[in-house]
Amino acid sequence: MRNSVIKTIMNYSKRNNKIFFITGDAGYGVLDKYKENFPDRFLNLGVAEQNMISFASGLSLAGYKVFVYNIIPFVLYRCYEQVRNDICYQDLPVTLIGVGSGITYAPQGATHYSVEDIALARTLPNLIILSPSDSVEAEKCAEFSLRCKSPVYIRIAKSGEPIIHKQGIKSISEPIIVNEGSEVGILFHGSIGSEVISALKCLKRTPKVISLPMLQPLNFDFLLSNLEGIHTLITVEEHFIEGGLGSIIEGWVVKNMLNFRVKKLGIKNEFIHAINNPAGMRNLYGISCNKIIRTVEKAFLNFTFKK
Amino acid sequence: MLEGKLKNIAQEARKLIIEVACRAKTPHIGSSLSCVDLLVALYFYELKVDPKNWKQRDIFVLSKAHAELALYTILTIKGIMSRKKLINYFQDNGTLPAHLDRITNRGIEVSTGSLGHGFNIALGMAYGYKIKGDKRRVFTLIGDGESEEGSIWEGALFAGKLKIDNFTAIIDYNNLQGYGRPREICYYEPVIDKWKSFGWEICRIDGHNFSQIIKAFKTPHKGKPKIIVADTIKGKGVDFMEDKLKWHYFIVTEELKQKALTCLDEGNHEK
Repeated sequence: MRNSVIKTIMNYSKRNNKIFFITGDAGYGVLDKYKENFPDRFLNLGVAEQNMISFASGLSLAGYKVFVYNIIPFVLYRCYEQVRNDICYQDLPVTLIGVGSGITYAPQGATHYSVEDIALARTLPNLIILSPSDSVEAEKCAEFSLRCKSPVYIRIAKSGEPIIHKQGIKSISEPIIVNEGSEVGILFHGSIGSEVISALKCLKRTPKVISLPMLQPLNFDFLLSNLEGIHTLITVEEHFIEGGLGSIIEGWVVKNMLNFRVKKLGIKNEFIHAINNPAGMRNLYGISCNKIIRTVEKAFLNFTFKK
Repeated sequence: MLEGKLKNIAQEARKLIIEVACRAKTPHIGSSLSCVDLLVALYFYELKVDPKNWKQRDIFVLSKAHAELALYTILTIKGIMSRKKLINYFQDNGTLPAHLDRITNRGIEVSTGSLGHGFNIALGMAYGYKIKGDKRRVFTLIGDGESEEGSIWEGALFAGKLKIDNFTAIIDYNNLQGYGRPREICYYEPVIDKWKSFGWEICRIDGHNFSQIIKAFKTPHKGKPKIIVADTIKGKGVDFMEDKLKWHYFIVTEELKQKALTCLDEGNHEK
């Protein structure tokens, strides 16, 4: 995902000399080519995240289309107030590229995980939140942000994620139907999509599977129009179970008194102390392929979900 | 001549600040009065801000945004902001908020309020203009308390390296922050040495002396950002407000308004 985003921005940078790229001392081996090709429009603003975001705001006010690259805690958490006041409040076309979604970096430790970023980003008006599931969606997200006049946050894992959309996609502005099915719908965002796809292969009855790369604003009308014949929605995300897509869907169902059962799969809201690789972490927190299979099977049998 | 003209504008601005603050019942009068002379020198001498040539204007970012009244009144006197807008400042269903909102107000370059933001945004703007080859210059005013923010020093560290010579920061060193004097609160001094060691051109001046302010503006700073440390008096011009911490917070009542206006008139006659 990382490389397809950078490559897309690089291609546009050849034609548009108003694109500026900032990193906060991250991107070794990833940004080298960009730096080499556009030395005048690339800055490493070092380990100083507050200045990095405010500086990006200033560059934007001076007429640049700015991209900021860092791992998620250092592009959104450390400098949350700068993102709020300097980018979103002033509605500037700055794109924040955050890498290391969910527990991508496990077992680096809780400081380096990004399991609450969607919850945090949702508090910011004007901010468009994108969470691509593979490099195909990631490329479209980068194209979208290049054209977008609003602040954008792109949440990506890192690299080497399995391709979900082998046939390509048209747009990331609406939910994307990955698999047709009935009765049960799986809604997901981000790289956890690969676990959903693996689960799909093992299921006897086929659920409808929808990827939601654009979480804010979410095209609910489009989503609803594609949920005919579905009685249960299962949300799957590599994010805290409360505060992310699951909460968005739950809130939408309640607010509009829709007739869906909702089951949320996500990481329990707690600080992660376990030491494990990302696959092991997914397993531990019940968002791996096997857990998805069991949840979908139960949903088809119309079982009551236990807490 | 020039100094006399600037003094008269500053006098008008101070009186307007007192009147508007009384009507709006807002605090931070002391913080506004300390930087009036600096802002008058900027808007009526140094900055290129011609409403007819708006796109080519120099930029001023008020980073210590709690001195918004000083900026609003000076923009009003300059004719960039309407008097109607100023009068409806801080009123119910009114116009201007206490801290700055650029989206709804022409003449406000950057929305600020939380300290340690405007300085860094201004830095990014200056760098943007510089690499574009745009001749516009960027100025920002920070507070002495504000420069305790880590973000200020993050920016200071990079501005020196980036050789941003179209950028001037000014510290309104009124020596009274929210709850004490900077030197009592932290290891504030030597402030000059600190900025110098970060690669900045330094000027230290009396922030109420127009010839010193103008001289500082004229000091060349080729290849370096510049910082003007302006020693000022909180509440300057109104004797019962001068150097008093409470005038970071107190409200100007109708009675105090008259007293303050009289004081400003008398002070002006003495000079």
